[in-house]
Amino acid sequence: MDRNDDKKLDSLLHSRRSQAASPDLAARIIHKAQGLPQIQRFLLWHLLRQLFIELHLPKPGYVIASALVLGMFLGFSTAPQSFSTTNSDGVNTQSFLADDEGLL
Amino acid sequence: MPVAWPDKEDNELLALVQDGSHPAFAALVERHTDRFYRLAFRYLQNPEAAEDVVQDAFLKLWEDPGKWQPDQNTKFTTWFYRVVVNLCLDWQKRKRPLQLNEDMPLIDERETAEQAMLRREEQRILEREIAALPERQRTALNLCFDAGVSNQVAADVMRINLKALQSLLMRAKATLKERMKSYL
Repeated sequence: MDRNDDKKLDSLLHSRRSQAASPDLAARIIHKAQGLPQIQRFLLWHLLRQLFIELHLPKPGYVIASALVLGMFLGFSTAPQSFSTTNSDGVNTQSFLADDEGLL
Repeated sequence: MPVAWPDKEDNELLALVQDGSHPAFAALVERHTDRFYRLAFRYLQNPEAAEDVVQDAFLKLWEDPGKWQPDQNTKFTTWFYRVVVNLCLDWQKRKRPLQLNEDMPLIDERETAEQAMLRREEQRILEREIAALPERQRTALNLCFDAGVSNQVAADVMRINLKALQSLLMRAKATLKERMKSYL
């Protein structure tokens, strides 16, 4: 390909006709929009954004709230193992109570 | 016309538009009308059609601002260039083929009448040949030779990588060079 032709073509492309918009185009668009209603969308993003606006907290607040939620989640998820009762525990408790009743 | 809210980013204005703010919409329109008009004009070569397309694009944004998704990590202008390009392509499919306005002012007014006529003829042929290019090559050319749109932005608008854009540009230029041999 001839470099001179490349340059000429580039120059032609750069000098393509250009025209400014009518000075009142923006004003016309703005005016037309004033008579148009907006479509209301219930997107998850909007709902979350609204929620964060409503419950706005400073950043440390979010950290503490997240730590509490995480702690509660971990606590509940491990609870059945640490408080699990076996038959032998049940017997021991009952015998302990029976001893107390004996005293009374 | 002075641009309102110069301190606000496009994304901030769009968030307000999504909440129904007319002043925020007005600020966006005033800020960007010219650049989108320029692109539409490049496509359509018809001032009325270009204005209609830009107006249509902005009114669609106003009516359904939820179409703009701020979490997509895309600049508003990149996304809106895409909207305008699609509307221009739709317009071209629906309406008549390209009609060049013979009374269009030329850029350099110091030219002689003969030079001006030759230049007008060159531009008429150039626009006709650009209009005849495949859609993607035409889009690449119109975006890249529009002042202020970098190749990276053009690639983002077309959702392709930089290499693919450069390849489209090369093919478009090769075709134009071939078809405009007598004018180069």
